[in-house]
Amino acid sequence: MSDDPKPYVPKIDRRTAIAWIGAVGAATGAGVVVSGCAPGEKPAKGYGTDPNLVKPAKAPWPRLLSKTELQAAAILCDFILPASGTAPAATALGVPDFIDEWVSAPYPDQLKDRPIIRDGLKPLIEVMSDAGQRTAWLAALPKATDEATKAFFRRFRYLVVGAYYTTQEGFRDIGYIGNESRAADPGPSAEAKAAVEQALVKLGL
Amino acid sequence: MAEPYDVIIVGSGAGGGMSAYHLTKSGLKVLMLEAGRDYDPVAETPMWNINAEAPLRGASTPDKPFGFYDATVDGGWEVPNEPYTVAEGSEAFTWWRPRMLGGRTNHWGRISLRFGELDFKPRSRDGLGYDWPLTYADLAPWYDRTEKLIGVSGAAPPRGLTNTPDSPPGCLMQNPPARAFETFYARGFEAMGIPVVPMHAAVVTQPMEGRNQCVFSTPCGRGCAIGANFQSTTVLIPPARATGNLTITCNALVYQVDLDGAGKAKGVTWVDRVTGQHRSATAQSVVLAAGSGETARILLNSKSPKFPDGLCNNHGMVGRYLMDSVGLNVTAQFPALEGLPPTNDDGMSVEHLYVPWWGYDKHKALGFPRGYHIELGGGRGMPSMGAARVLADDDMSVGDDLRANLRRRYGSLISFNGRGEMIPNDDCYCELDPKVKDKWGIPVLRFHWKWGESETRQAAHMTTTFLEVIDRLGGKPLGTPERDGRKSISKGGEMIHEVGTARMGASETDSVVNEYGQSWAVPNLFVMDGAVLVSSPDKNPTLSIIALAWRSADNLAKLAKEGAL
Repeated sequence: MSDDPKPYVPKIDRRTAIAWIGAVGAATGAGVVVSGCAPGEKPAKGYGTDPNLVKPAKAPWPRLLSKTELQAAAILCDFILPASGTAPAATALGVPDFIDEWVSAPYPDQLKDRPIIRDGLKPLIEVMSDAGQRTAWLAALPKATDEATKAFFRRFRYLVVGAYYTTQEGFRDIGYIGNESRAADPGPSAEAKAAVEQALVKLGL
Repeated sequence: MAEPYDVIIVGSGAGGGMSAYHLTKSGLKVLMLEAGRDYDPVAETPMWNINAEAPLRGASTPDKPFGFYDATVDGGWEVPNEPYTVAEGSEAFTWWRPRMLGGRTNHWGRISLRFGELDFKPRSRDGLGYDWPLTYADLAPWYDRTEKLIGVSGAAPPRGLTNTPDSPPGCLMQNPPARAFETFYARGFEAMGIPVVPMHAAVVTQPMEGRNQCVFSTPCGRGCAIGANFQSTTVLIPPARATGNLTITCNALVYQVDLDGAGKAKGVTWVDRVTGQHRSATAQSVVLAAGSGETARILLNSKSPKFPDGLCNNHGMVGRYLMDSVGLNVTAQFPALEGLPPTNDDGMSVEHLYVPWWGYDKHKALGFPRGYHIELGGGRGMPSMGAARVLADDDMSVGDDLRANLRRRYGSLISFNGRGEMIPNDDCYCELDPKVKDKWGIPVLRFHWKWGESETRQAAHMTTTFLEVIDRLGGKPLGTPERDGRKSISKGGEMIHEVGTARMGASETDSVVNEYGQSWAVPNLFVMDGAVLVSSPDKNPTLSIIALAWRSADNLAKLAKEGAL
């Protein structure tokens, strides 16, 4: 991480970007602040109780992270899951956009995460333009001892891991095999069965 | 189809779907009224979608409490515009409702266990609860028929386990082989002398005429576009429609049974949830199958001079004896399951094995009177937003270490879920809220709930059992499991097995309907959902609701042909 990372380019498609700009524009036009979470702000809408499940629409709420926050999130995403062998880096899978989608969502779990993530990114934003400081800050993060930083790191990593391993690339990396139509279920492979038997023998079972 | 219909059925789920299937096939003209919208599982099921395609990676939200892809439409723990209340001083109660054709059968767990002989005569057995007006032998042929019609897997050589009926040959299909984690945990239970047997699941695992076979991928909770599991919308409603005898009206929130001058049911009245218009239809007889809560609400809201406290409620029995299952979960991580060779673990989505209650002869020593079965989840399923849950508490790794830790521990969690019998008690019931009304001005239900000691002690025993098995298998629970059953027990309603409220019985004074769901007070009014259940055994209720509805519908058809209605 000693070289300056390439700026993160959001992985959203053009149509979605236009829709977001439209939503922000419309909301702003109506006198609603959408970039912060000021008291009395009209809450953004969720996807509702009857969304299309087969072709899910992009999450409809406006994204709240600033360009700078998104760049910081990108740096941290790739610190947690950089490219490795054939497995792509988190940024290559658009994980920073997902972090934005998550912390911007109008639901209780996500509203709880919003300040944790945004506050947690602040010290990184302070140092991210300086390669040396940035590297040192990142290296120290998993070893942090104060509760707030630990909570931020664990939660951010939880979101990155969830976002990453729910993709096809993540399936390959973690070893998930499935989600394909089969005429029969032959059960676990002979190797898997043998490994379980061996484990049971060790346990005296 | 012209009015009057022969039968109006309120509800389209397990009970409504089954009665519509049988009554239309018996030649009766049926109007089915469903409170939710029309729903087409063929077009609307996200069969092989992955979580990355869904907002928030499919994580649960108040809009979709069981995750984005769960089949439930317009509902969950809250339904827009349709509140319910919980009485002051009551323990927590929560009520799951969808608003869609087929109701909860679209997303349900597909676990299909028969009630046993003891389950129908609990009072005779130990003086607790109440006896049913029928026996296992009375219902057994209907269980046979139901299993053959809806397609249930779980065939096994007869075990003769107490109160855990073996289905006769030809009723059940084979389960796929046990997943690796299932073989693993089974050995732990067996070492404790606790039998582990094939799960009975409403999943078609072998070729079956007129049905598609399971493709051993994609979760049943999303629904099934190919109809390989049981949903009212794929298995019961299409053949009922094919008779030409079925009319379905959706968005019809029925709130009242209408009576004629002689005190017989002449039809029902509903509000259209979309237009707000109030409409009525007439029929020779009426079947309520709206779900235990909604069925009670309709009866309680149907007030007349003859029934000032609600229809069929002259003895104060409507809404009483509300029950749910006892529920409790402990999840643990097992080093022995780390680093298993990758294998396709999707299976039939439902558990391939389960642990039936094993302590029927030990209740005195155990200190609680009724048992529970155990459902176990785990394996190398499709990763979800919670993928990082497998990591150790103190794991702060990143990069290649993180990837390796995830890879090694993926699939090493097992969740232990107890589902236990609840004994009906006087503190658990629903009534009309004196003040709160829904969007259309109709009084809503107010729930009262209090678990008894029979249940909280049972819950404590679940934790004890789970921790012993976990220990034998060398595992470690996530977090610190709560030992106090009063704190660890599920909320009332949370297991979505709410039953009772219009129970069947042998006499008018202590029940609402007879053994065929026919109401004592209004002979052409029937109840054919979980409301009629007299007890709530640990076995999940859907299979029994279907079998009872079929038996009751058969009786209704006979009465109709005799001109007795």
